[in-house]
Amino acid sequence: MSSNNPIELIEQYLDRVRVYLPLDSEDTIIELQTHLIEEAERIGNGTMTAGSAMMAIERMGEPKNVANEYAGSGEKVGPVPAEYANPVARIVIVLVGIASAFIVGFTMLGIPLTQLLGADIQNWPVSIPIMVFLNIFIIVAIIGIISMFDREKPLTDKTTLESIFGLGVEGFKPKGKLDALGDLVMGVFWAIVLVIPAVVFLYTPAFRELAMLVVIFLLLGAIRGALFYIGGENNFNLAVEGILSAVWISFAVVLINIGWPIRYVYAYTDGSWYLFDLVAFFTDNNIPFIPFDWIWAFIMFITVVIAVWRIFVSVMKITMYLRADKGIWWQGNWGERRSLRTPLWKRMLGEHDQFEQQK
Amino acid sequence: MSMTKKTQDELDRWSKEVKRGAVTLAILALLSKRRAYGYEAVKLLDEKMSFLALEQGTVYPLLRRLEKRELLLSEWDYKDPTKPRKYYTVTQEGLKALGAMTQTWNVLSREMREVVMEVEN
Repeated sequence: MSSNNPIELIEQYLDRVRVYLPLDSEDTIIELQTHLIEEAERIGNGTMTAGSAMMAIERMGEPKNVANEYAGSGEKVGPVPAEYANPVARIVIVLVGIASAFIVGFTMLGIPLTQLLGADIQNWPVSIPIMVFLNIFIIVAIIGIISMFDREKPLTDKTTLESIFGLGVEGFKPKGKLDALGDLVMGVFWAIVLVIPAVVFLYTPAFRELAMLVVIFLLLGAIRGALFYIGGENNFNLAVEGILSAVWISFAVVLINIGWPIRYVYAYTDGSWYLFDLVAFFTDNNIPFIPFDWIWAFIMFITVVIAVWRIFVSVMKITMYLRADKGIWWQGNWGERRSLRTPLWKRMLGEHDQFEQQK
Repeated sequence: MSMTKKTQDELDRWSKEVKRGAVTLAILALLSKRRAYGYEAVKLLDEKMSFLALEQGTVYPLLRRLEKRELLLSEWDYKDPTKPRKYYTVTQEGLKALGAMTQTWNVLSREMREVVMEVEN
C-alpha cells in the first residue's frame, strides 16, 4: 500500500529493486537510495515530499529494469529473461535447499523417498520431459494470471510475483545480531544446565555416555554465536557454521539411535521431591514408550533439516564472497536491514526520524 | 534539409556507437579533476555533456564496471547517515588509461575533422 511518507515510498520501491538484484547488492541499494533522496530534494527545491519522491522514483523507472541495468547482462539466461534470472535462481536454490534438507532428515529417520511420496514414477523415462513441459506451462499460466492483477499498481507497491520472489531474499538473509547473541547466551546456558549433577542424574545410561559431547557442541555453538555477533557474516564465520552443522549431522546419526534421553523426572508428593522413573511407569502400565522416541526423532529431524540448510547456505555464500574477492575475515553485515525510518518503539519514546532531526 | 526516417535511424545508431566509446573517457576525465559520488557524477555529466545525455541507469553500472577494472576507486562517506555517499576517484591505472585514451581521442578528432572538412569543401 502506498504511503504519504517519502522515505517509506523510497524504501518500498527499493525493496522491489532488491528482489531482482543478486544477494550481495546492499551497496547498490544504498547508492540508489541516496540518488533518489537527492533527486527528490532537488525536485522539491530542497525539501523532500511524497510527490517529489514519487517523481524521482518514476524517473528511475521500473524496478526490474533498474536492477537489470545494474546486475543483468541484458540477455536471456537460459529460458529466463535476464531481469528475472536472480530471483528465479534464488527461489530455485531455496526450494532445492529445503528439499535436500528434508531428504537428508527423512533418510536419517529411515524413511525412503519413494515411500514418502507414495508413488513410483510411471512410464520412465518419457514421463520426465512431459512432466517438465506441463509444469513449465502451469508456472507460466500462473505467473500470467497473477501479473494481470498487478498491472495498475504504483511503482512503490510490490507485485504478487515479487512477494513470492521476496521469499528467496528472506531465505538468505544474514544472521541477525540479536540472534547471534541469543546463540551465544543460550549455548552457554544449556551447556551449564546439562552438566548440573541433578540434571545429569535424569539421563538414560545411553545418553549419559554422550552428554559431554552435546555440552561441547553447545559451547562450540556459543562460540559461533559470539563470532557472528562480533564479525557479522563473513567467510570465516560461514565456514565455522558449515563445519559445525556437518559435525552435528554426523553426531545426530548417533543421537537419533539412543532414543528418548531422559529416564527420570522430578516429582513432588507429600512435601518432598522424588525421582519418578518415566520408563518404568510406562512399561509397568503396559503403555508403549514409543511416542517419546518419536518426539526425540522429530527433534533430531528438525535439527538435521536446519543443519543441512545451514551447510547449503554457507557453501553458497562462501562461493559468492570468494568470487567477489572478499577474503576470509571482514566486518560483515547482520540480518537487520538498515532503515532510514526510526523503529516504532523508539518513536514512542520520543525519538524522531533522522530527517525530522535534521530539520 | 528535413531528415528521412532512415537517416534518423542511421544517426541514432551511429550516435549510440559514438557515445558508447566516449562515455568511459568522459567519466574518467571528469573524475580525474575531482572525486564525486554517484548522483553528483550523473548531474555533472548531464550538465557538461549534453550529447551523451547519460541517465543514471548508464552511469552507475559504468562506475561499477570501471571500479571492477581498477580504473576507479570508491570510498563510502557516512557523514550524513540519511544519505551515505560512495565517492569515486581515478586510480593511477585509471590516470594512465585516461592519458592514453585522450591521446587517441585527440588524434581521432583531428583526423576526423580533416576528413569531414574535405567532404564539406
